[in-house]
Amino acid sequence: MKRTWFIFKVIFILLVVTLAMLPVILSSHPWPVASRDYLYENALSDTGAVNTVSSIYLGYRAMDTLGETLVLLVSITGTMGILINLGRESEEEEAVSFSLAPEKRATNAQRTHLLEVVASKLGPVVLLFGFYVMLYGHISPGGGFQGGVIVASAIVFLALGTETQSKLTNTTVLGRIETLSFLVLIIVATSGVFFERGFFGNPIKSGSSLSVNFIILLNIIIGLKVGTSIAVMCIAMMGGRHGH
Amino acid sequence: MSSESLFLSPVYLPLLSAAGILFIKSFCPTSIKRIAEYLGILIGLVLPLLLVLRLYPIVQNQGYIETTIGGYAQHIGIIYRFDGMSLLLILLAAAITLPAWIFSRNEGPGHSYFTALLLIQNASIAAIGMAADLFNLFVCLELMGVTAYVLIATGKKANAAYASFSYLMLSSSAMVFFLLGTFGLYNLTGSLRYEAIAMGLETLSGRNQYVAHFSLLLIIVPVLLRVAVMPLSLWLVDAHSKAPHAVSALLSGVLLKVPLFALIRIFSLSPFASSLALPISYAGAVTALVGVLLALSQSDAKQLLAYHSISQIGYIVSAWGLALHAGVTTMTGSLLLSASFFHAFSHAQFKALLFLTIGKTTDAAGNRNVYTFRGANQALRNVGERVPLTMLCFLVGALSISALPPFNGFYSKTLVTYTLKGSLHYTFLTLASVGTVASFIKLSRIFLPSKQPMVLPAVKEKNRFPVSSHLAFILLALSCLAVGLFSEQMILFITRLISSEEAQTYGSSFFFTQDNLIKTTLTVLSGIVLFALAVSRPGKYVLHLLEKRRGGFTDLFLGFATALGALALFAW
Repeated sequence: MKRTWFIFKVIFILLVVTLAMLPVILSSHPWPVASRDYLYENALSDTGAVNTVSSIYLGYRAMDTLGETLVLLVSITGTMGILINLGRESEEEEAVSFSLAPEKRATNAQRTHLLEVVASKLGPVVLLFGFYVMLYGHISPGGGFQGGVIVASAIVFLALGTETQSKLTNTTVLGRIETLSFLVLIIVATSGVFFERGFFGNPIKSGSSLSVNFIILLNIIIGLKVGTSIAVMCIAMMGGRHGH
Repeated sequence: MSSESLFLSPVYLPLLSAAGILFIKSFCPTSIKRIAEYLGILIGLVLPLLLVLRLYPIVQNQGYIETTIGGYAQHIGIIYRFDGMSLLLILLAAAITLPAWIFSRNEGPGHSYFTALLLIQNASIAAIGMAADLFNLFVCLELMGVTAYVLIATGKKANAAYASFSYLMLSSSAMVFFLLGTFGLYNLTGSLRYEAIAMGLETLSGRNQYVAHFSLLLIIVPVLLRVAVMPLSLWLVDAHSKAPHAVSALLSGVLLKVPLFALIRIFSLSPFASSLALPISYAGAVTALVGVLLALSQSDAKQLLAYHSISQIGYIVSAWGLALHAGVTTMTGSLLLSASFFHAFSHAQFKALLFLTIGKTTDAAGNRNVYTFRGANQALRNVGERVPLTMLCFLVGALSISALPPFNGFYSKTLVTYTLKGSLHYTFLTLASVGTVASFIKLSRIFLPSKQPMVLPAVKEKNRFPVSSHLAFILLALSCLAVGLFSEQMILFITRLISSEEAQTYGSSFFFTQDNLIKTTLTVLSGIVLFALAVSRPGKYVLHLLEKRRGGFTDLFLGFATALGALALFAW
């Protein structure tokens, strides 16, 4: 009885939601072209970015990007809080071993030789690629968010691959880079206010070849911010929070 | 500084101080950290409010100030528009965040992350109040939501993480529909700017009109979910009662109302949207009554307060819906809207006060059950309180919510019911206020002296009652009283901001008429009768049945689907 009631409810929810969505999805209205044409003509001269996507998300709609960065910051803060709380409550966990028997590993049971070799060799290459995506975001596909996530995965590789903790996988150091880049991001965003160009205004004179530097700077800061914060969270999830 | 930079200060100053606090936390020792937090609250919360209040004359003369973020062309950039409602929302957020933050200093969660989160939340609220761009509104709503989920999860209660998770699941799946609606409107009009959308919608015809209606519907329902009107309110109780007390105060004081008043701009996009306001206002009236009945049946003190938030939001929504139905620019519409906001503001104050005092009291005794918990004062004395200020402040809150003069609740509720006179809502709301009185008699019983002597804890260390908690209580209680005493000026302030035309004054001669006083007396008397019925044997049986009716995880989504379906049927 309870089960049929549950199924009935689920069917009802799906039905109503689909019916409400249908008119919007099935709409055959032609796509508007005004914005597209405007961007095609003016994006480069307005912001200096060759990559129009960059000109949108760090230029015209930079405010949305700031919002998304903040969403990421807040959700990672929340995740860390929950992880720390869980760490306090849970007792010694039962060790799950992934390693093969000949490896003879007692501690660090989740590592294997294979994993360490591959991850430690892959890490630096991925790190380099991440910085490339971040730095060339204004010219080629990519940008701060994408580059940041790649950097984060590189740091996770390094943390998996090396037994000893280096500066790059130390959560305290990563956390410091994160807060520093967040502060710089907000200061850069606010700087326009003091140059009479308004919030998120490009303080560098637009039209000059230098104005693209604003976007490069934002890409780097956002990349560092995203990369370090995701890396900190992943390292904490692997159970390697520094000093804990 | 230009006025454009000035009115954006509630967005960037809190962000700047939040970033500063986090920076100092990871680089500097503890002593500097605390100073940074105080400084951050000062710069991020108090300073922007003062700066924004300076714009009051400009808003009153011009109606609004507008700017494009980054100085790009208007039709491609993000537009921020500062008008009276933005100012009111910033004021509301700051007025509750400050006492809640002070309270959290000693009662937890008083760490730097919490302060930074509060500041980010305030920035997002200011942005919601000002954004005149559909996608930016989406981002800001998400940001506000994320801070809410995280703040709820900081609770020490066992189910806090679960409450936060179910709210997160529900709200973020609802926001997908918001995005879909944005997609639909952009497809039709080619713009995300409110004005351009409104213009584009006028020229539509035939099938496209249906698409526009359903897109608007998909945008409106997820936002109403945050407001917790009746079929959408199931998430609220767990979230509000499991969160830390300071967060509960913020959640029901501020976060419920901000989306509601931000919706006004979406409703004014097309005449179809304003026709939706009428059924929503009826839903609000029903919410007010059902919410209070459920509140009366609760045994957990904080859950009782949470159901009261639902009930009070019903008052606000019913006046708000009728205001939109009449048109915000008309005389009746602006009066209704002012009444609605005034009640939202008073509710924020007294509900924050109630959450904080009840939270402190139940923590002191370690008991949240209203049936078994007695002798609250003794429990408070055990944790070091000398003067029973907590009880006095609680009474201020309880009298305010029961709409007794001279507290703010009396004025705002009277104004709301006055503006609704003659409609069906009026009956519902009057019945709801009887229930409010009854349930607050029930809650106040925890302060009665206990019959059996209190078991004193064995370890008797002399602990002092934190001054910060008292400060927060007194701040809120005094503001309840002040808004009540200066209600005339307050109403004038609100109506002037909402519509720039000459506003009517509502002095004491308006409120203290014979009718109103008789009505208040009758409400209190019938409240007492209802309370007597509720504690009688059959009453207890009925209430117990009501209390056991709790929705599960699927029911949250069922509520969403029901609301969407009902409004869709109406649209058809």
